[in-house]
Amino acid sequence: MAFDAFFLDAPAGRRFCVHTPAHGAARGAVLYLHPFAEEMNRSRKMAALQARALGEAGYAVLQIDLGGCGDSAGDFGDATWAGWVEDALAAAAWLAARQAGPLWFWGLRAGALVAAGALAHYRGAAGLLLLQPALSGEQVLRQFLRLKVGASLNAGGARGGVEALLRDLESGKAVEVAGYTLGPALAHELAAAALTLPAGAMRIECIELAPGPQGEVSPALAALAAQWRAAGHAVRTAVIDAPPFWQTVELTVSPAVVAATVAALAPQ
Amino acid sequence: MFHPMANIRQETRRILDHALGLNGRALAFADDTALLGALPELDSMAVVAVLTAFEDRFGFVIHDDEIDGTVFATVGSLAAFVERKAGS
Repeated sequence: MAFDAFFLDAPAGRRFCVHTPAHGAARGAVLYLHPFAEEMNRSRKMAALQARALGEAGYAVLQIDLGGCGDSAGDFGDATWAGWVEDALAAAAWLAARQAGPLWFWGLRAGALVAAGALAHYRGAAGLLLLQPALSGEQVLRQFLRLKVGASLNAGGARGGVEALLRDLESGKAVEVAGYTLGPALAHELAAAALTLPAGAMRIECIELAPGPQGEVSPALAALAAQWRAAGHAVRTAVIDAPPFWQTVELTVSPAVVAATVAALAPQ
Repeated sequence: MFHPMANIRQETRRILDHALGLNGRALAFADDTALLGALPELDSMAVVAVLTAFEDRFGFVIHDDEIDGTVFATVGSLAAFVERKAGS
């Protein structure tokens, strides 16, 4: 299936985008927001497969590399959370102007937090597709820093490692983790990001991956889903038996996740 | 956020089993099954994987100074730690 790669002129700079047009009778549009740092690279192949399957199912899909990520302009070390939310809004506007029908935001891992940030400003989104959503920016930040220092159970080992890095960031210093320069401004904003959504009547489709045939939705996401239902949204959760493809060092392709992605967006 | 205690104990076993690649062995662990020093699979990378899985499943954040060898002594001590975190 054909797709177009191009640079979108977002307010904060040129952003690399891949647009997969809807195939056949168009059902709507989907904006993909990628995870944080290395998880983005590891999930590229799956995101491309999911975008292609959605295209074949009648959805126009736009994948954007946020500022300082992938092939977009800027350095990761200069990226800001507010800038990423702006990028997402610019991408949503581009997509909505070209594809009629319902517009979905689709966030993987920390991309779910970017989507929530954008939805605080965007009116008219039909739905939100959350794939193994990160539940808070603080969690994303700590897990990213833990990659660098590990975890030690020995007193005096790496104890205080993550806390020491957080203190560096708070005092305005950048830190290097796994080949990424994390700037203090981005770290500060990321730590405050939450998966909170305005009240409304969106469809929210959540997909979690869990090993084994009898996976249950995580207690944390189940609690959020209950809050969103109380706020008026139509929420569904699904659990797929598949490996966490955004973490695995070897390229992992999961047809079950691709199928679940298309099924989640099907009209109800 | 309320999580029934029985589920937390079961979830602890599932997370251990997956993070340490035990292929179902951990699902049969008793509360007094020893972890640290008894399970060679429990290296520093596995500890990171276990902590990350607990954070993702329960939505809390684990600080460096909350964990030490006593938390990872047995299945029961680890589950008790998660119960405290999930209940707070």
